[in-house]
Amino acid sequence: MKIFNFKIARCTFGFILFLTILSLQAQEIDILIKNGHVFDAKNNIDAISDVSIAAGKIVQVAPSITDKNVKQVIDATGLYIVPGLIDPHTHVFVGPRPGKFADGFNSLSPDDFSFKSGVTTVVDAGTSGWQNFPQFKSQVIDQSKTRVLAFLNIAAQGINGTEIELTKIEAEKHDINEMDVAKTTEMILQYPDIIVGVKIGHFKGESWAPFDRAIEAASKTDRPLFVECHLPEYSLQDQLDHMRPGDMITHSFENIDERMPVVDENGKVRPFVLEAKERGILFDVGHGGAGFWFDQAIPSLEQGLWPNSFGTDLHRFSMNAGMKDMLNVMSKYLNMGMPLKDVLLRGSYYPAKAIKREDLGNLSPGSVADVAILSLRSGEFGFIDARNNSIKGDKKLEAEMTIREGKVVWDLNGLAAKPFENK
Amino acid sequence: MRHILTFCFLIIVVGLKAQTYDILLKGGHVIDAKNNIDGPMDLAITEGKIAEVARNIPKEKATRTIDVSGLYVTPGLIDMHAHVFMGNEPGAYIANGATSVMPDGFTFRSGVTTVVDAGSSGWRNFPLFKEQTIDKAKTRVLALLNIVGIGMRSRFEEQDITDMNPEMTAYSIQKLYPDILVGIKAAHYWGGFTQVDLAVEAGKKAGVPVMVDFGEHNPPNSIEELFMEHLRPGDIFTHTYSNGPKERETIVDENGKLKPLVLKAQQRGIIFDLGHGGGAFTWKQAVPATKQGFKADVVSTDLHTESMNSGMKDLSNVISKFMALGISLPDAISRATWAPAKVINRLDLGHLSVGAEADVAVFNLRKGDFGFLDVRRMRLKGDKKLEAELTLRAGKVVWDMNGLASEDFKE
Repeated sequence: MKIFNFKIARCTFGFILFLTILSLQAQEIDILIKNGHVFDAKNNIDAISDVSIAAGKIVQVAPSITDKNVKQVIDATGLYIVPGLIDPHTHVFVGPRPGKFADGFNSLSPDDFSFKSGVTTVVDAGTSGWQNFPQFKSQVIDQSKTRVLAFLNIAAQGINGTEIELTKIEAEKHDINEMDVAKTTEMILQYPDIIVGVKIGHFKGESWAPFDRAIEAASKTDRPLFVECHLPEYSLQDQLDHMRPGDMITHSFENIDERMPVVDENGKVRPFVLEAKERGILFDVGHGGAGFWFDQAIPSLEQGLWPNSFGTDLHRFSMNAGMKDMLNVMSKYLNMGMPLKDVLLRGSYYPAKAIKREDLGNLSPGSVADVAILSLRSGEFGFIDARNNSIKGDKKLEAEMTIREGKVVWDLNGLAAKPFENK
Repeated sequence: MRHILTFCFLIIVVGLKAQTYDILLKGGHVIDAKNNIDGPMDLAITEGKIAEVARNIPKEKATRTIDVSGLYVTPGLIDMHAHVFMGNEPGAYIANGATSVMPDGFTFRSGVTTVVDAGSSGWRNFPLFKEQTIDKAKTRVLALLNIVGIGMRSRFEEQDITDMNPEMTAYSIQKLYPDILVGIKAAHYWGGFTQVDLAVEAGKKAGVPVMVDFGEHNPPNSIEELFMEHLRPGDIFTHTYSNGPKERETIVDENGKLKPLVLKAQQRGIIFDLGHGGGAFTWKQAVPATKQGFKADVVSTDLHTESMNSGMKDLSNVISKFMALGISLPDAISRATWAPAKVINRLDLGHLSVGAEADVAVFNLRKGDFGFLDVRRMRLKGDKKLEAELTLRAGKVVWDMNGLASEDFKE
């Protein structure tokens, strides 16, 4: 008895192959971006190339993709094509409560700022905790076109203080008993696709219980800890020592009283900070209104303490200050001397890895089509820090187009539009 | 004797201090339609007010000098059509809902210092809007009160004639909030002229203009009838260049001809507001209308979440689009400063007269190849684009794109 008929198998195989080719050819492409400089670190692509998109996913990245069966061709000559940017530090739990971050006016709507700056994913940095995350989700996350992920605050109500001054927020407000590891863990596991880590910040006391509990919740859920500043009783060294490789510290280049700055009085990056970086601690910019100082950031860059990501710390008090938006923060680094490729790498691929979301931050075929098309503008520019000091620069990144899940959500100069003819 | 000397010394010190300006914007090109200025001029600010506008004000007279050479200095822009009653009420869209935006994130970065909320709230929920947004915003927020008491809560509620109360609307404007409420809005109505007539009735009682969004009548109502029989001179027609002919009669006909009634209406004193929005600005209307000698009186955004990331973007972009139609910079600027100030009868705003509150915008006119998108994804090319370099609100720097007002970093 013949168990296997080679002839039939060969025919079948051939037929399937034929079908596959046919389906590839027949697949209608929604968007074909032509002749851009693709920079996709994960896939080692750094070349002039085309990118095709269908059904919200990346289909192919290759030179000279045919424009047959293409609905929309976009000419990206002279422009950079990168995975949609990821801002790992924002405050977007917006609501009507004046003077509040959680459900308040001090947070901002993500869509107002993301797409115009090439950002397709923002991570909210602990504006909510286990008690009010469901409200945050229904009120903002589910309503936004931007992908909103979150670090869950170990404090039950997130950033829920009544004081407007940033340094006083949350301080002493937290009942340590409500910093509940089990409840925090439970909430993370209920929304594993949205909650990417745990946050500790804005705690005034000396007890290490909050920090330890945050780490415990992060460990139990195999996620990073995000350490925001405003922990005046913990020394910088102790904070870094408590952190595990892969944990993130933000406001890295801050120079304020409540935390030791990373650069000492002689302009040297403190050795224990460099050691922490060696050990795998990730440094996020976390620009904010007060979190970025050239006297910290420039020596750090020169001495090897490079940020791993460009968190903006977007909120009401940073949006119109030196921060402005994520591309402005990236442009600062470009003009401070960080090469463009290193800047772009830290704009999407590195933060995706940091939050363990390697499905994002790349242009692999099959991955979600979150894409930013950037122009590198030349001119005379200036960039401001928290002390209102400025540096001059001659380069600035601008978002020409942003695509979120295959849809054009920002088109600065009408690249995807038809020319108007007055008939 | 010693007392007299001390006294004289005090007077001198006080006198010297009084001469010192807080901020001097030096070397710019001032555009101020009210005062007929369009040329090189310095501008000095003291205690939040315009102190002097003149050629060559000496640096010594100011505590702080900002070099604005090569840039345009204008009154802070007034966006006469925005939706900023942002909130999280379930079921609400523009009134206390997520379709509205918070003003400060959009204004200063495009040179805007005043927005007029166009009827997001009505007399019943205006107090909440005031408490929640207006009192907390750094932007000056004025408002048109919707003739519908609950404002723009949903399209359905906007049809409710029983909630259109001219008495209460006029009372709110005249008696309760005369400093904030500058007019009335009638919008999104599906029926005949009932809503407009009630709004005009309230407008007469309160002595303020009415803005009409005439967009959703199916079949469309006659705009000639609206302009000539229902509105008063000084009332406002918004979404001027809209091209949704099935729901709103257009100003340019199918053959590309500007309807003569439009110019007649403008002569009668009907105010045409651009009101870009997510669906209300088309090159198909704007290009032929401009060529045939018609221009909207006021350039505004209709800012909300559906317009912010579309062809609209922000007011400086909309002004740049207006310029792409061939309109000069001073003309375009006047339609977003002094023109709207007059329309809403706020003659204290929209100019740089000495003594006025120092709401000031500084722009660079960027040159390059730009494309400007309309709501039908059609692109018109342009070679100029306005960018807000610096914005001051009541004499305070609230936006500084390139650090003009900062100090150089020294290591």
